[in-house]
Amino acid sequence: MLQVTSTSAAETALPLRFTWLSEVVAVFVKDWRCEFRTRYALNTLALFAFTTMVVVSISLGPIGIDRARGTKVLPVLLWVILLFSVAAGLPRAFVQEEESQTATALRLSATPSALFCGKLLYCLTLVGALELLVTPVFVTLMNLEVVSPALLAGTLAAGGYGLAVGSTLVAAIIAQARTKGTLFSVLAFPVLLPLLLLVVELTFNAVAGGGGGVALSQLLLYDASVTVAGLMLFPVVWNP
Amino acid sequence: MPNTTLRFENLRRRFGRLSVLEGVSGEVAPGQALLVTGPNGSGKSTLLRCLAGLLSPEKGTIEYREDEKVLETEERRRRVGYVAPDLALYSELTVAENLEFFARIRRTGPERGFEVLDRLGLPTDRMAGALSSGMRQRLRWAWALLHRPQVLLLDEPFQNLDAGGEQGTRALLLEHLDRGGLAVVANPSNLEIDRVAGHLDLGR
Repeated sequence: MLQVTSTSAAETALPLRFTWLSEVVAVFVKDWRCEFRTRYALNTLALFAFTTMVVVSISLGPIGIDRARGTKVLPVLLWVILLFSVAAGLPRAFVQEEESQTATALRLSATPSALFCGKLLYCLTLVGALELLVTPVFVTLMNLEVVSPALLAGTLAAGGYGLAVGSTLVAAIIAQARTKGTLFSVLAFPVLLPLLLLVVELTFNAVAGGGGGVALSQLLLYDASVTVAGLMLFPVVWNP
Repeated sequence: MPNTTLRFENLRRRFGRLSVLEGVSGEVAPGQALLVTGPNGSGKSTLLRCLAGLLSPEKGTIEYREDEKVLETEERRRRVGYVAPDLALYSELTVAENLEFFARIRRTGPERGFEVLDRLGLPTDRMAGALSSGMRQRLRWAWALLHRPQVLLLDEPFQNLDAGGEQGTRALLLEHLDRGGLAVVANPSNLEIDRVAGHLDLGR
């Protein structure tokens, strides 16, 4: 009797390498392995971020802008730099699969939700790396005084997640379309606009000394909503 | 291997105004192969993509049964091994890395894929992007057989293969049929394959 119970348990408990989570990890590792060998997204994101930061620094640097104006303008510029850097690199997550014709093999092999989460994890780490690179340089170059570093860090974390999940969802939707570039802009606008309004407000509060308030809750709610929407929509947009 | 049967009836698929499939029907039993022939543009690849669940037909039904149970689309995809000219694996990964990745997302081991590669004589340490067209076809076969599928959908399966490669892949197809699997083989011209139970000519 004991033997039967233990056999049954062994059959139901799948080894770690055969679980949904292992699928997610496999997609994540594969994407980074391919990225390290081509460096397409890394180069695009870094180049765009560096160029725009230099341009902004030369135009509105610490000498060219006073503190009162800087507090209002610089949070917007920080998120514009992050948004456009992301827009230049992240749509490749799915577009690359379609263009290189590997999407067929993925469609026949992967569980859609695991694929979405694996890609999201990849985009998330890419956005996180971008934020870690851009934010300290931006704050230093612009001589930006941050009154509440914790709120800024929280905003960057939740805002970066929102950017990653929103971009991943839109990238999946546009991947099979012919006019991918135009469609990304059109679809990303309504998806990312509420996020940008919230993160700019929160970054302004972090710089000027306000609290997180309702905006932080709304940002977390946005992240949760887009994640749920992504998980529900992805199987529909990914499969014919 | 479970007994899987495939039946499709009255399939229709158009691309814009162009009608590619119209009223196409067929049936394949375990251990048998269906040969689909026809000139370029006659709808062979479209039919196989519909059968694989990669395209939806506008009309008609596709039914996979496994021991009398009708399979859902997602289950169907998981049981299909697919070889086609437009199927690519990751050129930035080695042959072995490709098989290991797909084995993990198919929740199986890569052993069967390596066994097929060994039989077809393809080194596993080469980058997939550096393979010749014949070698890429061998890799497609290894990918298709990785999870020991019940159904093989083969679109021009011997394309670009040399005599040794064709002999090896034909042997793999016959073994698949001997084990009770089924296959649909599409080719522009007629192919001499044992165990062909039906012939669908889309050129007529």
